[in-house]
Amino acid sequence: MRTAKNHARRLKMRIMLVLGVFVFSFGAIFSRAFYLQVVRSGDLEERALLQHEKTVTVPSKRGSIFDRNLDELAVSIEVDSVFAQPRTIEDSYRVTHALATVLPMDREDLTKRINAKRQFVWIKRQVDLTSPQREAVKGLKGIGMVKENRRFYPTSLAVNLIGFAGVDSNGLEGVELNYDERLKGEPFTLKAERDARGRLLLFEDIRGNVEGMDVVLTIDKTVQYIAEKALKKAVDSYGAKGGTAVVMDPSTGELLAMASFPTYDPNNPGGSGPEARRNRAVTDMFEPGSTIKAFLLSASMEEGIVSPEELFYCGNGRYEVKDRVFHDVKRYGWLSVRDVIKHSSNIGAAKIGEKLGKRNLYSYLKLFGFGEKTGVDLPGEADGMLPHYSHWSGVSVDTISFGQGVSITTLQLANALSSIANGGFLMKPHVVRYIRNHEGNTVEDFYPAILRRVISKGTARKVTEILTEVTGKGGTGELASLGVGFDVAGKTGTAQKANPAGGGYEPGKYVATFMGFVPAQNPRLTIVVTVDEPKKEYSGGVISAPVFREIAEESLAYLGVFNNGNAPDNPNNPDNNGRGKMIQEAKFSKDNPAALNADTEDMQPDRGAGPEVSPDFRGMTIRSALKFAGAKGLRVDVRGSGRAIAQTPLPGALMPREGNIQVVFR
Amino acid sequence: MIEKRLLAQIDWILISTTLVLALVGIASIYSATYLEEPSLYQRQTYWLLIGAAIMLPVVIVDYSILDRFAYVIYAASILTLIFALIFGRTVGGAQRWISIGFVSIQPSEFAKLSFILALSKHLSTKDVSRKGLGLEQLIVPSALFVIPFLLVAKQPDLGTALIFFFVFVSMILVVKIKTKILVPSAAAFLAMIPIGWRFLKVYQRARLISFIDPTADPLGSGYHILQSKIAIGSGRFFGKGFTQGTQGSHLFLPAHHTDFIFPTFAEEWGFAGGIVVLALFCILITRGLGVAAAGKDRFSFLLAIGITALFFWHMAINAGMVMGLLPVVGVPMPFLSYGGSFLLTMLLSSAILMNISMRRYIF
Repeated sequence: MRTAKNHARRLKMRIMLVLGVFVFSFGAIFSRAFYLQVVRSGDLEERALLQHEKTVTVPSKRGSIFDRNLDELAVSIEVDSVFAQPRTIEDSYRVTHALATVLPMDREDLTKRINAKRQFVWIKRQVDLTSPQREAVKGLKGIGMVKENRRFYPTSLAVNLIGFAGVDSNGLEGVELNYDERLKGEPFTLKAERDARGRLLLFEDIRGNVEGMDVVLTIDKTVQYIAEKALKKAVDSYGAKGGTAVVMDPSTGELLAMASFPTYDPNNPGGSGPEARRNRAVTDMFEPGSTIKAFLLSASMEEGIVSPEELFYCGNGRYEVKDRVFHDVKRYGWLSVRDVIKHSSNIGAAKIGEKLGKRNLYSYLKLFGFGEKTGVDLPGEADGMLPHYSHWSGVSVDTISFGQGVSITTLQLANALSSIANGGFLMKPHVVRYIRNHEGNTVEDFYPAILRRVISKGTARKVTEILTEVTGKGGTGELASLGVGFDVAGKTGTAQKANPAGGGYEPGKYVATFMGFVPAQNPRLTIVVTVDEPKKEYSGGVISAPVFREIAEESLAYLGVFNNGNAPDNPNNPDNNGRGKMIQEAKFSKDNPAALNADTEDMQPDRGAGPEVSPDFRGMTIRSALKFAGAKGLRVDVRGSGRAIAQTPLPGALMPREGNIQVVFR
Repeated sequence: MIEKRLLAQIDWILISTTLVLALVGIASIYSATYLEEPSLYQRQTYWLLIGAAIMLPVVIVDYSILDRFAYVIYAASILTLIFALIFGRTVGGAQRWISIGFVSIQPSEFAKLSFILALSKHLSTKDVSRKGLGLEQLIVPSALFVIPFLLVAKQPDLGTALIFFFVFVSMILVVKIKTKILVPSAAAFLAMIPIGWRFLKVYQRARLISFIDPTADPLGSGYHILQSKIAIGSGRFFGKGFTQGTQGSHLFLPAHHTDFIFPTFAEEWGFAGGIVVLALFCILITRGLGVAAAGKDRFSFLLAIGITALFFWHMAINAGMVMGLLPVVGVPMPFLSYGGSFLLTMLLSSAILMNISMRRYIF
């Protein structure tokens, strides 16, 4: 028993020893757990979040593009995009077979994608599926679908202007590119959980989704259609390389149509080369040829250097200057300024130019906006080329007077001509009227903007009168005439194409132009047509003038303009649709603009006389300001008392479409 | 048949801690794998049911039968280890599995218990002097240890081999060893460490290096321990809640249902949950020592000590390893970690403790 007792005691000692090890170990483990889970827990928690959370951005629905009557030109439609997680596919043969019957794609490509050694692969993006097809795809293991928005252009009109958007909702050309940020909106931000293999497990917390905004263009779908149809006809029948047609509202600078040829299918932009995707009316430069004579005339009349009846000797078709000899198509002796324009005599123009002088010629062409961007809200605009007069050679003043040695864009030409049409104001052309958010509220309005006054109203009227004769009997632009009821002011142009290799002109290559506005005395439309490298015929009067006529005739009928602009109220009137009451209010002030023009000669309410500008209230008392405004049919918001010290809009600035003039008195 | 007196002695503490730990294990396995392999927790449940069914006879039949058949069991166990080395299935580079019909078993798990049985039987028959075991008295115990140790190390399974070593050393020290032998053998052991290093596989060395500096290669060998710490730490005090953890179910944590089940649990239940589980182990081990101390004979004393040492070293090495206190050596957490053979071995061990506990006052 004693040995047993000793034995037991010894054993208990051992047990105490074991207990010691045991307590030490547990102590270490407990304190370590405390250290990790209490002391360092914040830091470690952050690391856990960092590695398993991932934010994913998905583009929002891209905004639509409308024409001025809110007809859809570009929309985003919800379509399915099919993807695969190849590693989770069990029976790849069966899956391939099932997908091949549903998806419009190459079997070989499909097989390659399904067997890709990747976690995630797109099978086919943005595809239209019927609901049974969708069900069939959904049932396949390892295959998934997400909703994506695909850009769709329902009309295929104005495609070179609108441009297109890529598969990831990025605007790549035209309006789509220029207003990309607004159209795109803010993407969805999704929080996803991620596992160690990088697979996304679940999505939550959809935040920050702002749908893209809608862009409403100044373009009128119908006018655009008319312009494209007429241009295509001419380009096709003359086997031309290309062409452009621009239709503009001269009093606002709004573009109603902008056609370019060749063109492409916007729903399959990859199917055509960049040649076809250019918006030639703004990107391509050409020599203006005789169309420049309208501006030469304007400058000379404004400077008072010539009068319409003044005679110039046209040398019977031959005029030597220094080492050069200039010719006219027909031989003329003495021609009045009026007839120089009507018959488009180069020699006459050269002599007028010499009388005007190179400095004046240069500065007026500059004032008309040549040689610099118009500032239109489209990408890729060309500057054109107008060398400074100090670089001109001895004969430059002659050649530039009939349109050689400078280059311009169709849009520049339309915009410069509009300033003659609207009584002398150079406007900033634009293609967007307003931008609205997805709730339909307008977020940005684009008002007509006057860049500057180029010529006086009086000069504009006189030039218009002379330009009207161009389309009269015996004028070069006779084919542009609309017949009874509509006077057309215009000018033809037939320019040889400059050799791109430098020096001289390419034989047999012409740009045939006609530019004009109608009705001449009360212009509603400025239209410029160019046809690039026509075959058989080459003159602007033969090729482009009839295109002008077709566009003008059909557009005016569509707009409800009859008899030189004395139109009955028509729902198609561009100022009378789409925007309801606001426009009505704007019309109210717009119908009485003449009183505001400083150089007014007549007080008739004349729409074509130009956009109205804000009068100068400064220095007036409240009483006299109100009386002054009342007489002009304007409303004034009075702030403070005393004499007027400030106002919005500033004196001479363009009147807003709605709202009163704010005047501050002190 | 079972006596009424015996029924009154049922060790409820052992039964309840065993059961609660096993259930915590199944819940954690579910949470760690339900996204990827939802069948695993079901399989673990089947193993628990099988284990419970086997426990019943093991508890009822007097442990003296184990005394009688200890060497037979040991020999059978060694044979299965040899069989596994020759015919076994290789998983993850280690040949440790034997397939029997639908299930695979890991003989090295059962070998732990049979080794404890054989060693307890042998040591209980030796008359140890006051000074402790002498050199020649150590020959047989060492042989009993070295045979399974080498067979397991050959697989290779460093974790299990270490468990054999720690259990062996614990039992020898409890029995007492002569000081003049202890000191030189401890010195010899330390001297062998550099030699042992040369026998380690490249990945085993990398684990030891990354233990010393886990940030040295955070995506390589240090990855386990870093992810484990992130899991435990991000659980904070009260945890993220059941199935709310991200480290395990999202596969950041390797072996999240086996060796690293504890971080998965700690992430979801926090420091509070971790304390409860560690406390349960504390109770189990203290109880094991209590059973040993109250044992009515030398065999049951040694057997209880061996089993308690088995629990303890498994728990301590696993917890130390997942918390970054010890190198990653691949030792699972008793009752919690996924694995049929391991769970069965732990349940059998627990049943043997209960058996001894019930019979401590019965002569």
